[in-house]
Amino acid sequence: MRATPRFELLRALGMLGAALLFVAGAPAALAQPAPGKASPEETCKVCHVDYFSGYARSKHGTKADLRTPANNGGCLACHGDAALEHAAKGGGRGVGGVLGFNDKKVPAQAKSEVCLSCHQGGKRIHWQMSAHAAGDVTCSSCHQVHAAHDKARDKLTQTEVCFTCHKDKRAEANRPSRHPIREGKVACSDCHNPHGGAGEKMLVRDNVNDTCYTCHMEKRGPFVRTHQPVQENCAICHNPHGTTTANLLRQRAPFLCQQCHEASSHQGNIATLSVISSTGANTIARGCLNCHTQIHGTNNPSSVGNQRTFRR
Amino acid sequence: MKRDTRHAYRFTAMAASVLAAFGSAYAAEDEVADPTKPSSSVHFGLGYVDSDNSRFGQYSGLNEKGGYGLLGADVVMRDDATGRWLRFKGRDLGLDSRELRFDHQVQGNWGYYIDFSQMPRFEPFTVNTAVTGIGSSNITIPTTTTAGPATQLKMERERLTLGFDKKLAGNWNFKATFRNEEKEGARIFGRGTTGSTGGLGNFEFTPEPIDSTTRQLEATFGYTNERLQLSGGYYGTFYDNKNKAVFITGGNTTVFTGASNTINPIALPPDNESHQLHVSGGYSLTPTTRGTFKLAYARATQEDNFLTAAELAPTAVAAGVPAHLGGRVDTTLAQMGLSARPMPKLSVRANLRYEDRDDKTPLFKYGAGGTTWDGNNEPRSIRTTSGKLDASYMLPMAFRLTGGIDYDEKKRNTSPLRVVTFRETTEETAYRVEVRRSVAETVTGALAYIHSDREGSPFIVTTPAASGNRVAPIHLADRARDQVRLTINWQATEQFSLQFRADQARDDYDQIHVLGIGPREGRARNVSVDAGLTLSEQWQATAWVSHNETEQDQWQHVGPGTAGLVWAAALKNSGDSLGLGLRGKPFSWLQVGGDLSYSDIKDEYGQQRVGGAAGVVAPLPDINTRLTRLQIFGKYAIRKNSGVRLDYVYDRFETDDWTWTSFTFLDGTTLTQEPVQKVNFIGVSYYYQFQ
Repeated sequence: MRATPRFELLRALGMLGAALLFVAGAPAALAQPAPGKASPEETCKVCHVDYFSGYARSKHGTKADLRTPANNGGCLACHGDAALEHAAKGGGRGVGGVLGFNDKKVPAQAKSEVCLSCHQGGKRIHWQMSAHAAGDVTCSSCHQVHAAHDKARDKLTQTEVCFTCHKDKRAEANRPSRHPIREGKVACSDCHNPHGGAGEKMLVRDNVNDTCYTCHMEKRGPFVRTHQPVQENCAICHNPHGTTTANLLRQRAPFLCQQCHEASSHQGNIATLSVISSTGANTIARGCLNCHTQIHGTNNPSSVGNQRTFRR
Repeated sequence: MKRDTRHAYRFTAMAASVLAAFGSAYAAEDEVADPTKPSSSVHFGLGYVDSDNSRFGQYSGLNEKGGYGLLGADVVMRDDATGRWLRFKGRDLGLDSRELRFDHQVQGNWGYYIDFSQMPRFEPFTVNTAVTGIGSSNITIPTTTTAGPATQLKMERERLTLGFDKKLAGNWNFKATFRNEEKEGARIFGRGTTGSTGGLGNFEFTPEPIDSTTRQLEATFGYTNERLQLSGGYYGTFYDNKNKAVFITGGNTTVFTGASNTINPIALPPDNESHQLHVSGGYSLTPTTRGTFKLAYARATQEDNFLTAAELAPTAVAAGVPAHLGGRVDTTLAQMGLSARPMPKLSVRANLRYEDRDDKTPLFKYGAGGTTWDGNNEPRSIRTTSGKLDASYMLPMAFRLTGGIDYDEKKRNTSPLRVVTFRETTEETAYRVEVRRSVAETVTGALAYIHSDREGSPFIVTTPAASGNRVAPIHLADRARDQVRLTINWQATEQFSLQFRADQARDDYDQIHVLGIGPREGRARNVSVDAGLTLSEQWQATAWVSHNETEQDQWQHVGPGTAGLVWAAALKNSGDSLGLGLRGKPFSWLQVGGDLSYSDIKDEYGQQRVGGAAGVVAPLPDINTRLTRLQIFGKYAIRKNSGVRLDYVYDRFETDDWTWTSFTFLDGTTLTQEPVQKVNFIGVSYYYQFQ
């Protein structure tokens, strides 16, 4: 083990501190000028008091930030100028051409474009290329903009939103071997960026393994002796959404191992509970891992066979 | 017309966990004076768990019989004049799974946060062991089979995250996050070798000590204007393991002996780190045409010093072995995408991605080698090129037809000698077609069909060839995959809606040997129905049922060559689940709710002889697991902004899992769990809301 990680931490913190000092001293961006629309909030809240309340309490309703809807037409900023006609005609779904985000007759793209007119940057750069956008999911499909508590942005309640569509994951998250999703310690957004990304499966990192390494960095290696599928894709053996087999394995040993390995000696043995000797104990306890305990790879440099076979 | 967002329901369980009851529910209903100001809440109380358990409290810390403090807060303050926000959020503060977060920001200018999170994981099996030194890198194992006391293995993560962001001039912004995570404890681990001693296998319990630090640092500059968005910066990760190896004293020295069979010490994961520079962006060429890209370059290194020759003795190391592996993996990523709507009814998307994971770790001959290993370490490189192209066209009646092609190519390196058949290149092409109706008041849905074919370069034979080349590994084998998905959403009335989802997939694998062994076929089916009902403005209900199953058929051959017994395994995992939820506010001073969830899961292993030499293939018992959870809460308002909340949870876990039931380590260690675990939890807390 090297003796320098703490030095590296200090060095990294120093760089971070210097960056913070640099940017903290920089002037804030000039806010966009308000378009001069009269805010119809007082009119709207006559009928939509709960929407208004949630908006007024939120970042959107913060008037000190000149970028917000509160300074750019209030309700009109998102719902369009037609909201005025909507109010003048006495309200009603779609009356006056108001843009309603719960209105199922409004195309998904039209709804998302409203949000993206301000929120296209950062993690949402790739939105248009995402599977969600292609599937007509809109921002308001997941986010409750007017609620005091947006379920999608709370780890404890986020799954309620995601499982609305991802029913198979709802079932898997209840399997005995699972991440602590039910407890709100791990959320879908710890691994996935629902707004799209440059990698596969809308993951927060560029590929499956780099995403897993954010919490399981010890599996990265590289090692003296590497296990090829481990290096290629963790999901070859693991289902991160939940399984019956310990350690989120897709299948228990020996069946999982036998999907790649064949017998040069014992690898093809029949799964059994009755043999507790030698290579027969391939099913009970840790199965094949009873001996091959270093299945993710080993950094042992010794020149014996059992290092090669992940046993030490 | 008064609309209340609080009464909107979703097709899922309304609360997922006991902890959900102590978090969001307090924030969900605000009964405070000024509707334009953010509201805050605190709650405190006591909870009681009526029995020790290993599943209910596995990740929350509610795993022992007794009382627990229920404490949480969500304090939010905004200065309207300056846009300054202060927020303190604490959750489960009386439990081992506590979380705290402090945010301070001037909206539109700068902000920072400090976030602390604890995450325990209690091993669900009780370990009875006489092994000592658990949690350290020096353990002592009894030399003979010895019964030991019950030990609770546990791991715990403590995570501290710092974040900062600053809005800069000219549409620029800066964000930085730093995360430090300490992980401590011990987990199940073991060593084993051939033979049997005293009716037991030659396996000893060697719990892995966990004492590591993981750090992540990310700093990003971003630029955003109406058409162009850019984001670029640095992402670094650092892993530091305090333990280098498990060093074993004692144990069965007759079994674990000699240079090749000592299996002591056992190396632990080495320190490693990575550094990535990245830039991504998007540009809207027109209101309907947008291009995106990402470029990234990362270098991961592993230069942790090896165990020394003295530490490894009596096992030898090769002459001239370096001080460390010198591991280095460089990864280059380039991605670009284009989405456009060239005609009002036509949308197209194209995406191209290239990722080259180049393992530049130097080769060294660590051992003399043999028939399946030449003694060198084995760097693993993989280069992935993938692309997507699809087009959607609007049809009458708000239907939309989408067709697409996906392509994925993986090129891998290989080592001179192998223990499994290998393939350097695989190519997979998928064809997608979908009909979707999203823009409609009552019935929406989609029907999709996907067919994909995977093939690749010729298989490279195992060494020695005579005993292999019969199984194509599951991630390399030729495969034809068919998937069908159907979704129907029916908004029957303003108050009642139904959602139906079904999907089915089938994989057909090609075998590479006349024996037909290896993966053969895979199947998956998911069906679910969800209903949502708003009974009145005060009462809402949800209900759902689902059936999920996966199957995998595979064959194997006992022993090398082709004359042994051939056996099949029809592996099946199936689950039936249901959920019911109810929320009500019968009086202005009373809210009530309940959720029931139930899952019945079965694993089947369907073994049978299908050919070859005579022999008996004994069946494996099924494993059945049933989980039931009932949660009820009542919230009684003493005043408009304060009151008492009562929570009750019943949790039942039942299993006939035989994984550890007949297994004893050579040192006498056993792992057990109660086949039926019933837990009752009751909590009473006082809440107060304010502004």
